[in-house]
Amino acid sequence: MIIGLEHYFFVSVLLFAIGFFGVLLRKNTLVVFMCLELMLSASILALIAFSRYHTTPGQGLMEGNIFVLFIIAIAACEVAVGLSIIVALWRRNQTVELSEINELKH
Amino acid sequence: MDLGTVLSVILLAPLVAAGLIWILARQRAALAMTLSLGAAATILCLSLWLFFAGWDGSAFEISTEWLTLGSLTLDVGFLLNDLSALMLFIVAFVGFWIHLFSVGYMNDDKARGRFFGGLSIFMFSMLGIVLANNLFMMFIFWELVGFSSYMLIGHYLDTDEAAQASKKAFIVNRVGDFGFLIGIIITYWTFGTVNFNELREVVGTQPQLVTTLMGLLLFCGVLGKSAQMPLHVWLPDAMAGPTPISALIHAATMVAAGVYFLGRSFFLFTEEALHIVAWVGVVTAVSAALWAFAQRDIKKILAYSTLSQLGYMVAGFGLGSLYGLHHGDAHNALYYGIGASMFHLTTHAFFKALLFLGSGSVIHACHHEQDIFKMGGLWKKMPLTTLTFAAGVIAIAGVPFIAAGFFSKDAILYVAMKSSQPAFYLLTGTALLTALYMGRLFFIAFLGKPNSASAEHAHESPWTIVLPLLVLAVFSIGGGYMIMYPVTLQEVMGHWVPHPHGKDHTTMIIISAVASIIGLVLARIIYGAGAATDKVEKTLPPVFAISRSRFYFDEIYGYYVKKVQDRLADVVAFLDTLFISGVLVRGSAAVAGLLGVTARRLHTGSVSTYVWWFFAGLVLFGAYAGGFFDGIIQ
Repeated sequence: MIIGLEHYFFVSVLLFAIGFFGVLLRKNTLVVFMCLELMLSASILALIAFSRYHTTPGQGLMEGNIFVLFIIAIAACEVAVGLSIIVALWRRNQTVELSEINELKH
Repeated sequence: MDLGTVLSVILLAPLVAAGLIWILARQRAALAMTLSLGAAATILCLSLWLFFAGWDGSAFEISTEWLTLGSLTLDVGFLLNDLSALMLFIVAFVGFWIHLFSVGYMNDDKARGRFFGGLSIFMFSMLGIVLANNLFMMFIFWELVGFSSYMLIGHYLDTDEAAQASKKAFIVNRVGDFGFLIGIIITYWTFGTVNFNELREVVGTQPQLVTTLMGLLLFCGVLGKSAQMPLHVWLPDAMAGPTPISALIHAATMVAAGVYFLGRSFFLFTEEALHIVAWVGVVTAVSAALWAFAQRDIKKILAYSTLSQLGYMVAGFGLGSLYGLHHGDAHNALYYGIGASMFHLTTHAFFKALLFLGSGSVIHACHHEQDIFKMGGLWKKMPLTTLTFAAGVIAIAGVPFIAAGFFSKDAILYVAMKSSQPAFYLLTGTALLTALYMGRLFFIAFLGKPNSASAEHAHESPWTIVLPLLVLAVFSIGGGYMIMYPVTLQEVMGHWVPHPHGKDHTTMIIISAVASIIGLVLARIIYGAGAATDKVEKTLPPVFAISRSRFYFDEIYGYYVKKVQDRLADVVAFLDTLFISGVLVRGSAAVAGLLGVTARRLHTGSVSTYVWWFFAGLVLFGAYAGGFFDGIIQ
């Protein structure tokens, strides 16, 4: 079986959908956060796949790959900030359940 | 000094005084008094300088543009001619002496700052009317005197009577002024100008433009301000104000402003309008004279007498102008109406101010007792007041040759005889009634023996009160002779006043003499000296009842206001509650509230809900970007 662009694309969409519905439906902040990361990974996968399959022959092949490295670096920073927020939430409220975090309303 | 500057100083001096009193002297009575009296003295000195040196007697006009609204230009300016000079003389002269009188009369009042401030504001407004060179400016000051009058009638603001009277005066005047304003607008619309001189030129070339309606609407202002029937009801009530106010505003100057206005705009009255003007005056004169007999309050009697004399002036204007139109062949025939009414206005200003100030002196001495049946015997206690009051009574009764009122009344009776017999009989009857009720007042209050403790303990007033009485008494007696007036003022008094000649001359003297002397003698016989009760009330109740009824004007107005006006007001109030405060105010608040309630629902505080909303927003945005709405939003 030859693996083509459509296979990458299918995996990417699947990942994105899992992430999306996780964000919508799960109630645990940590899981929601993981799902968010999943959506980011899905889009990175799509980016690198498009980059690999649409390269003009004779020119550089690695632009997409370099971009992905940047995105992963920034995502790592983002995860550090996000996790520390979640830790702070836990210290404050002794819970990370989304349904119980509604201080903005009150 | 040029005339414009002098006139500006005359007009603005009292305004400056009032402003200074407002800022500095609301609680400092002595300073307020000095400022107000100083302004009055300035006016008098400058006016006298004008009449004796500064002004040559020819008409002088100065005008400046004040306001432009589209094609409408409002000017402010002065017009000094024979007529306004005479009125200026009256206001300045009588005004000064009444200011001086107020200093003595109000010496124990607690709100003298407010009183003298009001007095100065009044002088400013009145001088504005006198000097105005156009109808709009006159109207502005016309409203300002209405305001001053309102403020000063209500001076004793802790009494219910004064509060009611000031409101009544203001509201009744609004009724008249409404017609007046419409009249001014029609005048402007017809002639394209409101300047007196320009109006007169246009009327001179196109007399067909003047309509009866225009004159009658302008006359509405006179009805209100000069308290003519049927808008006379406010003047007797206005006596609730301090006595100097009654003398200055409600006898000598403001109420005469209506008559002065007639003289200023005489060319705007057609023959039909003049007939109506004359008859309104005649009816007012007769009725008010009848009503005076049922009054016990010394100021009320004088108030009804003022009404009656104002009726005389208005009748004099109407009848005199008619006489000028039909019979006059002399050069000044056009001015006979002005002459007759202004002559009586002048003498009336002197003797009625004198009478009011005299009554003020009496009230001051009797510790605010105003009932004439509780006075009596005052001639022993207050000889100077009695003497000057007697001069006033003689003047108003029109005793021949020794009273100013004789000459001026004579002129009016003469034009009445020449232009309308019924009016002549009624006015002659009024002259008799005038002598009768003034005799009643004088004999009961001043002669005989004291009828109460307060009259027993009366004593002569201080010089600030007596001096104005003496000066005004001299003018009340001598005001019929030209020698009393500056030469520059003698045009109106000398040439415009219609005088009977030959046989008419003798007839008029006999009629006037008989009317006044019979009236005074009858009063002495009927009422007696220093009576404690009203003889007519006891012996002829029906006659007294007619006089006391005042023809039920107040009752009819009261009924109308209660049954018609109040109900209309209720309907309007209901509509206001329903539409303005209901639909407009509460309705818009409800819409905003509803929006708020809906928007609050979106704000759940649950992150998952927000993500759903975010997702919905994303879908909408995507749909828009994808051109899905192109068919809906063009």
